[in-house]
Amino acid sequence: MSFSVSLRDVTLTYGDTEALSDVDLTLAAGKIHGLLGRNGAGKTSLLSLLAAFRKPTGGEVLVDGRPVWENVDVVSRIALVREGGDFDDTDTVKSTIETGELRPSFDLEYAHKLAQRFEVPLDKKVNQLSRGKRSVLAAICGLAARAELTMFDEVHLGMDAPTRDAFYKELLAEYMDRPHTVILSTHLIDEVANYLEEVVIVDSGRVLRHDDVEAFQGMGATLTGPADAVDALAAGLEVLAEQRLGGTKSVTVGSALDASARERAAAAGIEIGPVGLQDLFIHLTNPDRTGA
Amino acid sequence: MSNSTLAGRRYSLGLGLFTESVKFFAGWILAAIVLAVVVPFIVSQWNSIEISAWAVAANVGKYLVAIIAGGYIYTLLPITVAQGMTRREYATSMGVFGLLWSLMIGALAVAGFLGERALYGALDWTQAIQQGDDVQLAIGSFGDALEFAAVYPLAYLLYFTAGAVIGAAIYRSDGGWLVLVPVIPVTLLADDAMTAGGPWGPGWLVRFVSGATDTWSVWVGVAVTLVVIVTGALIARRIIIDSPIRPKQA
Amino acid sequence: MFDDGTPIYRQIADQIKAEILNGSLEPGGKVMSTNQYASFFQINPATAQKAFRELVDEGVLYKQRGVGMFVADDARDRLAGEFRARFFDDVLKPLIHEARQAGISLSDIIDYLKAQEGALK
Repeated sequence: MSFSVSLRDVTLTYGDTEALSDVDLTLAAGKIHGLLGRNGAGKTSLLSLLAAFRKPTGGEVLVDGRPVWENVDVVSRIALVREGGDFDDTDTVKSTIETGELRPSFDLEYAHKLAQRFEVPLDKKVNQLSRGKRSVLAAICGLAARAELTMFDEVHLGMDAPTRDAFYKELLAEYMDRPHTVILSTHLIDEVANYLEEVVIVDSGRVLRHDDVEAFQGMGATLTGPADAVDALAAGLEVLAEQRLGGTKSVTVGSALDASARERAAAAGIEIGPVGLQDLFIHLTNPDRTGA
Repeated sequence: MSNSTLAGRRYSLGLGLFTESVKFFAGWILAAIVLAVVVPFIVSQWNSIEISAWAVAANVGKYLVAIIAGGYIYTLLPITVAQGMTRREYATSMGVFGLLWSLMIGALAVAGFLGERALYGALDWTQAIQQGDDVQLAIGSFGDALEFAAVYPLAYLLYFTAGAVIGAAIYRSDGGWLVLVPVIPVTLLADDAMTAGGPWGPGWLVRFVSGATDTWSVWVGVAVTLVVIVTGALIARRIIIDSPIRPKQA
Repeated sequence: MFDDGTPIYRQIADQIKAEILNGSLEPGGKVMSTNQYASFFQINPATAQKAFRELVDEGVLYKQRGVGMFVADDARDRLAGEFRARFFDDVLKPLIHEARQAGISLSDIIDYLKAQEGALK
């Protein structure tokens, strides 16, 4: 029953600013997708369209193959959790959680279990919670919604590291327990990389890359060694960044090295290192990068 | 509220809003009743009582009803959409709530006027409604009181609708408060056409709309109010259905 | 837990192979499920599944529908054979290359290995 997602030629403008331009994107059902992008790249706009929080200026937004706008069968099974949550701040945590029962699929027992585990006091008012606890409450409501498409938009921002870790664990457990589609929007990429199956990188309102997480992990390499030798090896490869210290040069390339290149590197005394998804993302979305 | 079915949840939300609001505002309502009784007693120590205190409470109530309608839409629209409701469903919930709430507050207003009639009659006070600057409209019997108060449920629904249009427009866009310009005079006009006491509002505006409705009968006033309510409700619904959910402030 | 260089599914596959080679996974023995692996290592289950698929393709594991994954009977021999096949080229050759750069002569290495053989037995 997991929902697939598809945007066709989608544009979204706010006044004069174009938040999304001609986005074509299809996300398979039942996977955990990572949505990566710098601040203002269009992550939130994209998710707002998928949850029918906004209408696109142009193009089509389909979830489960159906137009999402004002479609009760679809939106009742979509949950978009925004940082800080969408709550009535003067309400208690208890009744905020119970608002979830507007969804037929909401699991109140699970929500209470999570509230206890993450130590969110039910009797407090939402505006008495710390930023971290507020984010946790938002995440709890998202998980307990038991939706077919669940999206977390930078929800972890207010959480401290141990809480984030516990949240990712719970998310994975819930996902394995009940297959559904998940989209995690973040810029703390290394933290979530292992949980993802596919990665979408958005930049300046466009989809920059969309691929399996493995494709990204094998996508780049750093070559470090004598400057001349490194230049020779990197010739013809897409160079993302370079750095020089005396006679030693370090180059980040945007493609994997084949066996023969690895052999030549070893012979020339060049060390080959990995490029983490986070570094790759920084390079790919660098505004100075030519051709980006 | 327990898990709702998809088909019925718009109605159960409307009902839920009503019962929660009754609980939440019970204290306020009680305070209004107490004040409407206590204040005349205090004043009566120095002056004779010549106007209805309950009329003051009932008229303040019109504005509170409008503020509740607008405030609810502004806060609840993003919350309910985030809970996977459509805007259409939410608009219907607000309609159900508006009907129940106006009926309840309206019934309370009618009961208040009748109760006050009994109290003022026993103490030989004058239960009158101030109209304009010096005109007084005296209520001399239970029949008078009932006749005067009977339109209040409809009046509350009128103000609820006005508040809904304003709240929805302000949520919809930053320039939405501009709807105040048509909504306030139209609301006051309908209220004036229907009620014997006339509406509360800025003096110059009330005089202006009273001038227009002077010759209308109560039934014409009721008809005008109904048309205004239906039109307002459709406009509010239209705005809600079209509203994007605002981005979170960073 | 994982290093950035090789895809995680390959690291998991390598780890399972290592466990078969050192005997902690017996031939015919049952392997943990995809979800168990996923929650143990905190990775996407699809990643774990990819590792299993690779091992099934290589004949190291076999699948019994509805029951789970098992270590193939000949897995250990096969893995040991594969390791023998690439030992000289993949392991020893780069080592000798590095040793030479450091000025260690081939005869020193041979002497050392002979001494080790005596010590290990």
